[in-house]
Formats: sequence, C-alpha cells, structure tokens
Amino acid sequence: MDQFIKEFSGKVRATLQNLPIEEIAKAMNILQACYERDGRIYVFGNGGSLAIATHWVADINKTIFSHDLSEHTRRFQAVRLPSTESEITAWANDVGYDMVFAGPLQNYIQDSDVVIAISSSGNSINIIKAVELAKKYNVPVIGLSGFDGGKLNELADAKILVNTEKGEYEVVESAHGTIMHLITKYFKNYFDRLIERRTARS
Amino acid sequence: MASFYTRHPGRVLSTAIDKYVYVVVNRTPLIDKVSARYSVSETVSHPSELQHTRIKAALLDAGITSGIELASFASLPAKAGLGSSSTFSVALVKALAAYQGKKIDKGQAAEAAARLEIELLKESMGKQGQYTAAFGGFNVFQFNADHSVDVKPVLVDYKVRLGLEDHIMIFFTGLIRDAAGVLKEQEASAEKNFEVMKAMAHSVAKAQAALLAADFEKLGSILNEGWTMKKSLVSTISNSTVDSLYLAGLQAGAWGGKMLGAGSGGCVMFLAPIEKKEAIRHAVAVAAQAATLKDFKEIPVRFIQSGVEVLHDSDYERTTLS
Repeated sequence: MDQFIKEFSGKVRATLQNLPIEEIAKAMNILQACYERDGRIYVFGNGGSLAIATHWVADINKTIFSHDLSEHTRRFQAVRLPSTESEITAWANDVGYDMVFAGPLQNYIQDSDVVIAISSSGNSINIIKAVELAKKYNVPVIGLSGFDGGKLNELADAKILVNTEKGEYEVVESAHGTIMHLITKYFKNYFDRLIERRTARS
Repeated sequence: MASFYTRHPGRVLSTAIDKYVYVVVNRTPLIDKVSARYSVSETVSHPSELQHTRIKAALLDAGITSGIELASFASLPAKAGLGSSSTFSVALVKALAAYQGKKIDKGQAAEAAARLEIELLKESMGKQGQYTAAFGGFNVFQFNADHSVDVKPVLVDYKVRLGLEDHIMIFFTGLIRDAAGVLKEQEASAEKNFEVMKAMAHSVAKAQAALLAADFEKLGSILNEGWTMKKSLVSTISNSTVDSLYLAGLQAGAWGGKMLGAGSGGCVMFLAPIEKKEAIRHAVAVAAQAATLKDFKEIPVRFIQSGVEVLHDSDYERTTLS
C-alpha cells in the first residue's frame, strides 16, 4: 500500500515541480484584464474537469472576496458552462454531445470575455468546438490540458499543459486543481492588498 | 520609426494606463449624411468634406460614404503626450471593423491604426502607441525590418504593478505638443542618431529586468539615461520650461524620469521614493507656476492589463442574420 501511495504522490509532485510558470502568469494577466473591463469568464470541461470548473467558479466569484465582501461590489463573473442541466441534456439530446459547450457559449460570448477550457487529453471534441468558437471571436482562451496537450494546447493563448504519460487522468486533474487554486489565491491576495492600500490612504 | 527599425530591430517597453477613449459608431439608414461628433460637431454629405482628418481618412478607406454617425469621448485632452491620439485611432478602426461585421484581433487593430496614421495620413511616427493601446498591459514590442512586430508580455504580478503605481508621478505641463514637428526632425536626423537610438533599443532589456525585480530606483535611472539620450537626438524635443520641471523633480528627490510622448511639452513623469513624493509634487508645481503653466496638473494613473475591445454591439439585424 505505502509503495502505491508514494508512487502516486511522487507523480503529482513531479508535475507540480514542472508547472508552466510563464503560461500560468499569462493566464492570470488575461483574467486581470477581464476583471478590469467587467467581462465574463466561461469555464468548462468533461466529468472531473467539469467538477474542477464548478469548484473554481465558487472560489473566484465569492471566496476570493471573502475578507470583505461588502467592499468588493465589482466581482468576477465566472460562469460554468452549461449553467443548467437542462441545457446540457437539450444540446446533447437534440444536437449532439459535441455541442454541449459551444452551443451555450454562443449565447453569451462577447468581446470582453475569457474562456477557460479544461481537458486532460486536450482532444475532447466538445471542448475543441467551444475553443474554436472563442478563437473566432478573438476571445482569449486559457487551456488546461494534460498528457501531450492535444489540440487544446495548440489553440490556447495561455497554454497550461500538465505534461504526463497518456491516461494519467488522476495526476493531471490533481495538478489542474492545484493550478486553479493557485489562481484563486493570487487574486485573493491581490484584492486583500487593494483593501489594505485603500485603508492606509484614508 | 521605420527609418530606424528597417536597419536595426526597434524595441520598447510600454504599458497601458487607466485613461480611456471611447468611439461610438451608429448606423443611420434614414439619414443620408455623415456625422462626426468630438469637440465640435460636423454633419456633411460625404466623408471627404469632414474636417476631422482621421475619421475622414478611415471612412474613405473603409468605403463608408453615408448613413453613419460617429462620436468620441476621452478621459484626457489630445496631444497631452499620453498616446490619446493613437488610442483614438485604435478604437476607431476596431469600431469601424465591427460596424462592417469584421472581427479583428489586437494585432490587426494595432496595424490598421498604424496604417491609418502613418500611411494614409503620412504622419511621422512609430507604431508603439497603437500597439500599447491595442494590447494593454506591460509588453515589450519589437519592431522588425520586415515591418512585423513581436509582442512579448512582461509578466509582472500585482505587487510589482501596485508598487510601480506607488512610485510613479505624472504631471501634465499644459503645453500642447507638436509631436509631428519633433518626429519629423528626429526622422530627418535618423542617420546621425542611429547609434544613440540603437543604445536606447538596447536599454529595454535592462529596464525590463529592473521592472521585474521591482527595482524602481534602477528603473528611474535607466529612464533618466534614456531621456538624456533622447534629448540629444532632436533640438526641439525639450525646451527650458520642460527642463525646469524635470530638474525641479530630480532636485526634490526623484530617481529619474522622462518626458512622455515625442517631447517639447506633454507630460513629465518621475519615478520617486514614496517619502519624497510630496516634496516633488510641491517643487514641480512651483516650477510650473514660475513658467506660468495655466493648465498644469498632476495626472494620477493606474496600470491596466486590458486593451481595445468592443464594449457593445447593438447591430441586431446583422448579428441575428450572420
């Protein structure tokens, strides 16, 4: 048992030691720009990646402002796509599973928005279709991928690749969770600093 | 400018500030006119009759001849040296592209604005202003001999960004610049100044390193060196009023700085220790008073990461049919 535990945690540790630092920094600048212009952030993925997306939406929309919610009236507008089960099933049943993200994204997408696509293989067709739609609108894409990055890593503006052997979903998703938390924490510290600065001046 | 970067890669480190230009374009199918509203309001039968040279050139180039109304809004006066006119051009070309149903990205918007100003309006200038406005954020732009531009974001975190905001001071002299005249002279003496400009292009790497290390004192001294070099380029780039303000700031404790824009007026910028800012503010204001600068004022800035974008597209007919 302990061998397995050591092996798995060793793999996760290795990915965390080789994070694409510059690409994550780029992603945070893209999100900063989105916040400044009050744009929206659409996050999506399949299965576990969708769960990461949903978790992150709660953190970025609410938790990062927790220290002073009443002070921060301008907040992030992150939306997990599709935002309702009805839309997932409607698009999947009526049009096809390929369109579950691109379909609802088309309803919202504007110049000031950002897309975060999460896919371990980087090749899920429904993810790529949504990313291609975003590219058509010149909306920046933050792509979290694993394995060899797949098509998502080619298309993304911020190419956050957690490079592993093919099929290492658990390792990739663990690293993705950490990266999303890293982003959360960065903005939490930033907004805390803004409050401190305002308090120091008044 | 092209006279330089066709011989040696030109490089600038630039950032966008929280001062905006908004351009509104309205389709007026029932009014067979062209209207342009800015500090004055013009309504004409054909764009070629417009007084506003940029709107005129942009409309003629886009082949739009009638049934359109444009208006612009800006948070800074024109010719203050903070890039408002190139920012206006970027917003204008982006808005007109959207009006024609075209989605252009940041690079295309920057190039289209540069083409408008440099090729269509024959202005002597580089492309850094248009790129800065289009992209937003901290970037190093490299201008290559084949006229392509490499955009390399400088990934500063919020601590550096807020730190720079705490150490920077910008004062508008109230003097309206003649950028075109200065830039023409600069272009005419390009041969003589080639080595100086090469040294300025090379200082970008040092400035970037100082910025990333949040070493604002170093950055200040690099700016000071750059400004001293720039002054040697063109006689009209500075004058005694500008010099007196700059010197006042340095004597009151600023680490360094430069004039913003093509010089000979516009804004003076300093990097300074926080505890010296009050003294600098006072010293520069006294120098401005001595030079009877009526419109002198401090311009507080924050740095922004966002660039040009369409804020609203209400073209219902087109977007529902496309």
